[in-house]
Amino acid sequence: MPITPRVEKIRQNYVNTKPHISYERAWSYTRSFQRTEGQPHILRVAQAFNDTCHELSVNIWEGELIVGTSGEYRKCAILTPEFGWLWINDEIDTFPERGQDPYDVTPEQTEFIRKNIFPYWKGKSIEEAFLARTSEATKKIGVDTGFLDTDSKWRNGIGEISADYIDVLLPKGYGGIKAEAEAYMAELDEAIPAEKEKINFYKSMVLIADAMITLGRRYSAKAAEMAAEETDPVRKKELEEIADVCSRIPEQPPKSFREAVQFVWFVQLGGIIAENPLAWNPGRFDQYMYPYYKADKEAGLIDYDAALELVECLWLKYSEWAWTISKNTASFFAGYTNFENLTVGGTKVDGSDATNEVSFMAIQATRECMTHQPTLSCRIHPDCPPEFMEAVTELVSTGCGFPAIHGDRTGYQMLSNLGYEPKDARDWNNCGCVVPHSRKTFEWTSAASISFAAALEFALNRGCSRLSGEQVSLPEKDPKTFESMDEILEAWKKQFRYLVRHGVISLCTAQQIHKEIGHRPFMSACNEYCMKNGKDLVDGGAKYNIGPVFTGVGLSVTANSLAVIQKLVFEEKKCTLADIIDAIDNNWEGYEDLRELALACPKYGNDIDYVDSIARDLADFFYDEVTKYDDIYGNHFVTAFMGISNYLPTGKVLGATPEGRHAKDPINEGVSPYTGSDKSTCLAALRSAAKVKHDIHSGGTLLNLRLNHDLVATKRGRANLGAMLQSYFALGGFHVQFNTISNEVLRDAQAHPEKYRSLLVRVAGYSAQFTNLSKEMQDSIMARNAHTEF
Amino acid sequence: MGAKGYIMQVQPFSVNDGDGIRSTIFMAGCPLRCRWCSNPEGFTATPKTGWYERKCIGCGACAEACPQGIGINLNAERERCIACGKCAGVCPADARARLVTLTDADDVLKEIQKHRLFYSYSGGGITFSGGEATSQTEFLDCMSREIYDMGYSMDIETCGMFDWNRVSHILARMDLIFMDLKIFDSEKHKEYTGVSNERILENIANLAVFGQQDTDIFEIADAEGRTGNDGHGPEIVIRIPVIGGVNDDDENIRASAEYVHRHLPHARMELLPYHRYGQIKYEALGVPYDHPEFRTPDKAEMERLRDIVRSEGVEIADFR
Repeated sequence: MPITPRVEKIRQNYVNTKPHISYERAWSYTRSFQRTEGQPHILRVAQAFNDTCHELSVNIWEGELIVGTSGEYRKCAILTPEFGWLWINDEIDTFPERGQDPYDVTPEQTEFIRKNIFPYWKGKSIEEAFLARTSEATKKIGVDTGFLDTDSKWRNGIGEISADYIDVLLPKGYGGIKAEAEAYMAELDEAIPAEKEKINFYKSMVLIADAMITLGRRYSAKAAEMAAEETDPVRKKELEEIADVCSRIPEQPPKSFREAVQFVWFVQLGGIIAENPLAWNPGRFDQYMYPYYKADKEAGLIDYDAALELVECLWLKYSEWAWTISKNTASFFAGYTNFENLTVGGTKVDGSDATNEVSFMAIQATRECMTHQPTLSCRIHPDCPPEFMEAVTELVSTGCGFPAIHGDRTGYQMLSNLGYEPKDARDWNNCGCVVPHSRKTFEWTSAASISFAAALEFALNRGCSRLSGEQVSLPEKDPKTFESMDEILEAWKKQFRYLVRHGVISLCTAQQIHKEIGHRPFMSACNEYCMKNGKDLVDGGAKYNIGPVFTGVGLSVTANSLAVIQKLVFEEKKCTLADIIDAIDNNWEGYEDLRELALACPKYGNDIDYVDSIARDLADFFYDEVTKYDDIYGNHFVTAFMGISNYLPTGKVLGATPEGRHAKDPINEGVSPYTGSDKSTCLAALRSAAKVKHDIHSGGTLLNLRLNHDLVATKRGRANLGAMLQSYFALGGFHVQFNTISNEVLRDAQAHPEKYRSLLVRVAGYSAQFTNLSKEMQDSIMARNAHTEF
Repeated sequence: MGAKGYIMQVQPFSVNDGDGIRSTIFMAGCPLRCRWCSNPEGFTATPKTGWYERKCIGCGACAEACPQGIGINLNAERERCIACGKCAGVCPADARARLVTLTDADDVLKEIQKHRLFYSYSGGGITFSGGEATSQTEFLDCMSREIYDMGYSMDIETCGMFDWNRVSHILARMDLIFMDLKIFDSEKHKEYTGVSNERILENIANLAVFGQQDTDIFEIADAEGRTGNDGHGPEIVIRIPVIGGVNDDDENIRASAEYVHRHLPHARMELLPYHRYGQIKYEALGVPYDHPEFRTPDKAEMERLRDIVRSEGVEIADFR
């Protein structure tokens, strides 16, 4: 339960309301762009943002202390047609009813949007530019295929920025940012072309700053107006306080914790209006908020509970905004998850422990509000205070899946490997789901999703999709004629190189388009070095310009499949390669015995070097292949195994695979073992996962594991979980997230034991695989669990 | 070093048999035959193979691999099984499993060392269990010496039925000794476990040497002075597996606690409720297990019994 009835009421509304599409922002942008034809693109974007901040509905909802919404609905989803509108036009009629992430939208709204907004953007969006510039060969393998996907970089806003609250936003306020831009501008000469470009940049900064200042003042006026009419004296006073706070925020630097929370939300809202971004990260919240809390607390102005209420109000604001995405994207990022990643814990730049009361507040707010945002991440360092570890593992034990838990040193190493200065690498925060990131950085962190398993399918199917039969990749010889493991591996590499190559082509195309019509003045204003350099992010203004990240999907499926071929065909000769090809061509139907043999082969996730070493080699090849390419800025591309929910759509397009998986079944995410195949203990799964060289995959690695709730039900059990985490990080692992098990899952496990072989449950004095227990025992464990369900 | 022993299982990630994350080494062979035993494969120190009928897919790979010509239903022809384990090696469904194997100490040590990071971060280590770990005295001696020298924490679970003079120096190496006192009344003890309990009670009393300030533990320890708890000697936890309908009466619990407190004033006690989780292993061995008369005491009942223990001045240990 949240800290106060006020927050609980807001939470109830959040839980029970479907997000509603608002076209206000899109309509303001459209009209603004119509007025600014011919001007430099960066100024058009900044002007559109500025106009929107003047025009957007201003609403203060019941009970709110922290205010600001991206449209006329409390749970609002906005449209950004300048990035892509074709998909919206195709799908908007199905928004209210679709299975994954539906939004409400009225027929009148739809008609308005089709009549007034889309026609203007025809031929002007980034999506259309991308499709116009992309060859048929690249489209065939890399547009809406599930083999290789880059569309989050040409259909939606980019996001993937961590706001610099520490060096830019909080100390300067938008008033300070404006003044700084004006000061830089005064030194420049319009007659020098390079300086003219900078002048345009600084003009855009002024437009952005003015827009933010206006937004704050409009909320202040609205609150004052509502306060005048409010009859309840308590609420009246609250509204007056809101009016007071917003009269200064975000123009001026905040002077109190409350002002700082409102400031942070206005910045977040600005980013949302600007880009409808994915992974727009609040960053190291506990680090930049603690000074305000400490000062207020010492002055007797606030106590822990009062601060917590504000933090919980902020958590609900993060969650009320819904990310508007296509059905396809929603299958990759299921659950309205917009990845507003907020990081707590870890070490300070000087190496000392960074946890403070606000770190605990963040964990408590997530536990009490159970909101899907912010995406809470924790940095765990080797000398992590036990109380913080207990708070983290206690949150895990609620079964909510939060927080994402990260090894402090591996994150540092990942950034060091990209050439960060130590002081910046030490200050890393998390971006999106599991990407080590910095507020000094421009990087497409989730640029391409590349399927290891698709490359295997093409290698073993003449370059064709097994489901469609269509030739989508490079031709390959009859798979039944491969004579050695080396030959198969070479074929996989050839196909994989082809996927990488087309990913590179796609992303460089998208980068070029963004450089032309993807200016990001709002985000650039949050970046210290853009201001210093007088350059937008898309022009390389940031301190660190990192190449786009390829995320590998299906590592364990592919390693397991190769292990099966190696063992059954070439070592034990229990079957021929032709048998396996026939079996997967037939989706294992009629080949059940062979499938049992395949399932019995060593599987990644059990600490068996035989197969783990294959996974490691594939991952190394991925790194070598991807990093040899440079993007249009001359930066190396980067690798990651971060996952998201992409193992579902990338599995749907694949036929059966040699390790026993059926056609269309999910593959696996990140460095996680294939579901159900990590039959040993979670210690073995952690050891397998740690064999992949995490620190070279600087785009982040992800490991999801299941745990029975019972294992973390006691303080002692949670201490052991903490020890497991520290061990994993000591082995070089980066991230792990735990799903504790509900009875619903246990019931499904009872009905389909084959899917749950790895499910570990605490039994008596030991733990055992759930499927190894009799039905009677399973029932008793469920009965035992029922009272602990969240 | 070449020593071999009969091992049921080395179970990583044991979290209820002592502190932290532990690997439990289950050693086969036991002088007791408790009717409620959940590890029947550990009765004797002989290799065994089991057949989990519920997992069997009937492919016949086991029968093909069997040098003795035994069919899929191992339990129908168990007397001819030589427990070579060939069937377990080929079974694709894990329906055949080696339940006891003759294993090199080196292999056991290699296995437990894998998890050393987990021990050190959690304050865990190794636990010897069974069967009855002390029944393979030489093997236990050798392994516990090696593990002691590796610096890992060691605990032992024992039924208490052993020759004190042959085992005491091994016990001295432990950080924690769990010793069972299943039933206080000797007659009843014999009825349910096959042996009377005099030796067990005597060994419980013998443990007093570890808890007393004035005893020199190095007189008990081996020549190199290997002693648990940094030379302080092991802590003691006396365990009662509480079998509803057998030993869950107040008198038994009170008399046991009184005895423990009298002889071991520093020892704690742990009460564990009866469970049937071992039933599947009886199936795997083709041994009948039909004990509807044993009840699992509920939480309230367990708590009430623990209160009796506390009222005798004994602290309750809890490793959940």
